Amino acid sequence: MKKGIPSSIKRFIWTLVFLTVTMSALAGCGNSQSAFTEEGKLHVTTTIGMISDVVKEVGGVNVEVIGLMGAGVDPHLYKASQGDIAKLDDADIILYGGLHLEGKMTEIFEKMVKKKTVVPVTKNIPEQQLRRVADGAHDPHVWFDVKLWMSATETIRDTLIEEDPDHQADYQARAEAYLAKLEELDRYAKELIATIPKEGRVMVTAHDAFGYFGEAYDIEVVGLQGISTAAEYGSKDVTGLRDMLVDRRIKAVFVESSVPKKSIEAVIEGAKKKGHDVVIGGELFSDAMGKAGTVEGTYIGMVKHNVDTIVGALK
Amino acid sequence: MSGFWIMLTGALVASCCGILGCFLILRRMALVGDAISHSVLPGIVIAFLISGSRDSFFMLFGAAIIGFVTVFLIQMFQNSGVQSDASIGVVFTSLFAVGVLLVSLNAKHVDLDLDCVLYGEIAYVQWNQISVAGMEIGPKAVWLLGITLFIIVAIIALFYKQFKLCAFDPALAAAIGIPVALFHYVLMGLVSMATVSSFESVGAILVVGLLIVPPATAYLLTDRLGMMIVLSLIIGVISSVAGYYTAAALDASIAGCMVCVAGVLFLFAFLFSPTHGLVTRKLRQRTTATREAY
Repeated sequence: MKKGIPSSIKRFIWTLVFLTVTMSALAGCGNSQSAFTEEGKLHVTTTIGMISDVVKEVGGVNVEVIGLMGAGVDPHLYKASQGDIAKLDDADIILYGGLHLEGKMTEIFEKMVKKKTVVPVTKNIPEQQLRRVADGAHDPHVWFDVKLWMSATETIRDTLIEEDPDHQADYQARAEAYLAKLEELDRYAKELIATIPKEGRVMVTAHDAFGYFGEAYDIEVVGLQGISTAAEYGSKDVTGLRDMLVDRRIKAVFVESSVPKKSIEAVIEGAKKKGHDVVIGGELFSDAMGKAGTVEGTYIGMVKHNVDTIVGALK
Repeated sequence: MSGFWIMLTGALVASCCGILGCFLILRRMALVGDAISHSVLPGIVIAFLISGSRDSFFMLFGAAIIGFVTVFLIQMFQNSGVQSDASIGVVFTSLFAVGVLLVSLNAKHVDLDLDCVLYGEIAYVQWNQISVAGMEIGPKAVWLLGITLFIIVAIIALFYKQFKLCAFDPALAAAIGIPVALFHYVLMGLVSMATVSSFESVGAILVVGLLIVPPATAYLLTDRLGMMIVLSLIIGVISSVAGYYTAAALDASIAGCMVCVAGVLFLFAFLFSPTHGLVTRKLRQRTTATREAY
């Protein structure tokens, strides 16, 4: 048997150890650059794009917003990067969805409450208006009922005012204008969806994110998968859905931006074999909005896009 | 301060995994960590169905119990003659399938995947502090992993000779009266404890990676078990520190970078190890060949 490792290797390893120890000692100092760039503004970090958008609308020039999850990111499966630590650490306010939308990250937010203003935007929605999916669990996709998202907007407004009372009047004025726009959006969605004949008012999607949308705007929602994008779906779900499409002559199904198209395409193929043509009715936004800078990159634009796409395909 | 806690957590995970990983590699059961990362699914589903909550305490409890069941079954099948890779494969796929079945039967509309409710994220450890009488005494992950490491070191140090013999030559160990099966079960129990508590703090990829890669790297550098454990600890700690800085430079996933650094170190050892290295061996062959030619 060989006796130990050669001294050259040993010296190499000790150099490495020495280097890493010095580096970690240095880590204590230095690197004090903030994640935020604009001084004198209220610094807000949010999780999903829908919240960032509302904060931008209500906060206007008085806040700087950083969103953790970009366009097309599924909040259930979000993976943090090193830069996120500073984004959360340097913020004056952290706003998140709550109702377990952010998965295990929710527990971290609940711990952070002790140190800074960390608010779930859904906190003021009365429990009876939330959809229960199981004991002790609620559907977190509240933004598709515009009325509920108005409650979230009010929560965001109140949080900003509490943290920055000097600009109370500004926040109030901008929130009022934005809430009026949301009221208008709610009416728009209700009226347009109502123009689809009642028997064909069914939307089939690969993701159960549209539960609130269905309840608020009176359209039946049939999902292929459960709420979790990672859950496997049963073969019974696929055949059941196919038979329903054929029986009720439903014209279109919808694929969303954050769910693979493959699962829904299997259903379309099955319906075709039974002699009923179904088309993909266009892409809907579910867990994430469109790219920043486009119309669909705002909350109002996203909801409008979804409503127009659904009505266009089913009418 | 955040960087310090993250590197310390990484180093603790690397230490727990590094020690146990050496024994697992010698017993050709390195993938047991990956197996546990999948097989705990039914544990969290059952814990959710009973408690009605996705609180991390219940999830950890459910996962820990199924983790022990997993390693017990793997060891039992192996004791009764099934090959070790086959027994790992059979146990974890079946248990994972039971979990998928339970989700589809009972909790279809609840977000219950492992990523969401069990696997933690190393970037957040510093915010999950434990407080005693209003005083913060450090992140929960550091305490949990520190205690786990203490238990592992204590048990391995007490029975080092027995564990060593069981890993290298179970037949001889049995012949001189060491209860081999018992030591196998104890080792596997420690593995289950270390992996499940690490999953909860830092996520799956880091644990599975650090359980295999640093010990495998150390195995290329030495043939002695004691030295192998020491080297694998050093490599694991270097991976977590260097990985953190890489993640900071790239603004990327911290756990991902730590395992990548470990992978690079493995490649380095694979090519340049003085005894087993690919390049070193080729060079040695060439020098002997040239010497013979003259």
